[in-house]
Amino acid sequence: MKGAHDLGGKSGLGPISPEHDEPVFHHEWEKRAFAITVACGFLGQWNLDIARFARERMPDPEYLASSYYEKWIYGLGLLLVENGVLTEDEINQRMDEMTAHENQ
Amino acid sequence: MSILRADKVWPTLRKGGSARMVDKGKARFKVGDSIVAKQFNHSGHIRLPEYVQGCQGIIAADHGMFIFPDRHAERVKEAQRLYSVRFEAAEVWNDLSRRDAVYVDLFESYMNAR
Amino acid sequence: MSSKHKHAVPASEIEIKVKALESLLIEKGLVDAQALDELIDIYEHRVGPQNGAKVVARAWCDPDFRERLLDNATAAIGELGFEGRQGEDMVALENTPEIHNMVVCTLCSCYPWPVLGLPPVWYKSAPYRARAVSEPRSVLEEFGVKVADDVEIRVWDSTAEVRYLVIPMRPEGTDNMNESELANLVTRDSMIGTGLALAPGETQ
Repeated sequence: MKGAHDLGGKSGLGPISPEHDEPVFHHEWEKRAFAITVACGFLGQWNLDIARFARERMPDPEYLASSYYEKWIYGLGLLLVENGVLTEDEINQRMDEMTAHENQ
Repeated sequence: MSILRADKVWPTLRKGGSARMVDKGKARFKVGDSIVAKQFNHSGHIRLPEYVQGCQGIIAADHGMFIFPDRHAERVKEAQRLYSVRFEAAEVWNDLSRRDAVYVDLFESYMNAR
Repeated sequence: MSSKHKHAVPASEIEIKVKALESLLIEKGLVDAQALDELIDIYEHRVGPQNGAKVVARAWCDPDFRERLLDNATAAIGELGFEGRQGEDMVALENTPEIHNMVVCTLCSCYPWPVLGLPPVWYKSAPYRARAVSEPRSVLEEFGVKVADDVEIRVWDSTAEVRYLVIPMRPEGTDNMNESELANLVTRDSMIGTGLALAPGETQ
């Protein structure tokens, strides 16, 4: 599939800016995002290539603006719903509950 | 559905899951052969980057048989031969002053003999 | 932003989404909360570039190991106990005075986890994935590495399941150093090919 993920040779993306003494994870949510994605891979509902393809289906502008684990979570959400593990409604409802809780 | 339990995490990661398949069948290409990477424009998963499509390369190594990701993304497990292919930077980036090279791992069906 | 600061800084949508997914998955018994902690601990503390550094230092000290590593990297790396996920099929690339190797994954962010751990942000970033193949010399300069004009740069794009480990050149003046001292000179970036091994006494 042609898309933003096929980055080799693309221009205009700016400097690389390596970070000195970079931590493995930058935020608590990244740790959780990493772990739930790897753990869900073992549910046996999809394989690694299906998972890669799910991340590639992120719309181009969003793909380029997203961090690595944001792409992982986009892909994981898609895979969980498409494979009937969770429904979109229950994810949205839980997110609403969590947002309400955060705003208390 | 199988659930990954805490005590199985380390052994499971250590074991991994190789995509390597039994090496059988005749290789279409051998080391040193000249190939051209095909041009693709389909909506599925593919591991052939656009920047080498249409470019000429040389087979640098035969990695053996691996699960073909394009079909695996459609839940079909097929084996296909994987090669390391050397492309000259001068050819890929259309700049004769370049003398570096890019090595790309390409499946057999991504290439035509040249 | 950690949850500790939730009243000072509102949680972002991605934080909320991750929490929502995690809580639903745990509630349904589809993921084991302790397994999540174990996964995080492994890649934060147990698996990282210190593993790859041991492989490189061994290759510098032991010519037979070096030969096995170049012949069958997966098996040789396995001798040191490093194996598994995202390193099931390894290839070692040796830098020489004539050839400098560097590794990228232009299509996603493939990386040899058992020897290097999880990839740094820059390796996964669009600029590196785009430019490593098309302008490796200017990329290397951004990392402070100047490769002489007569050295050939080979960029390896990890487009399939083969994972690459660069064996940097052994620095000058290290003849009297032992394997574990040498391992301290082997940086993560030197094993990706965006850096060189440190000289004795040099720090990152």
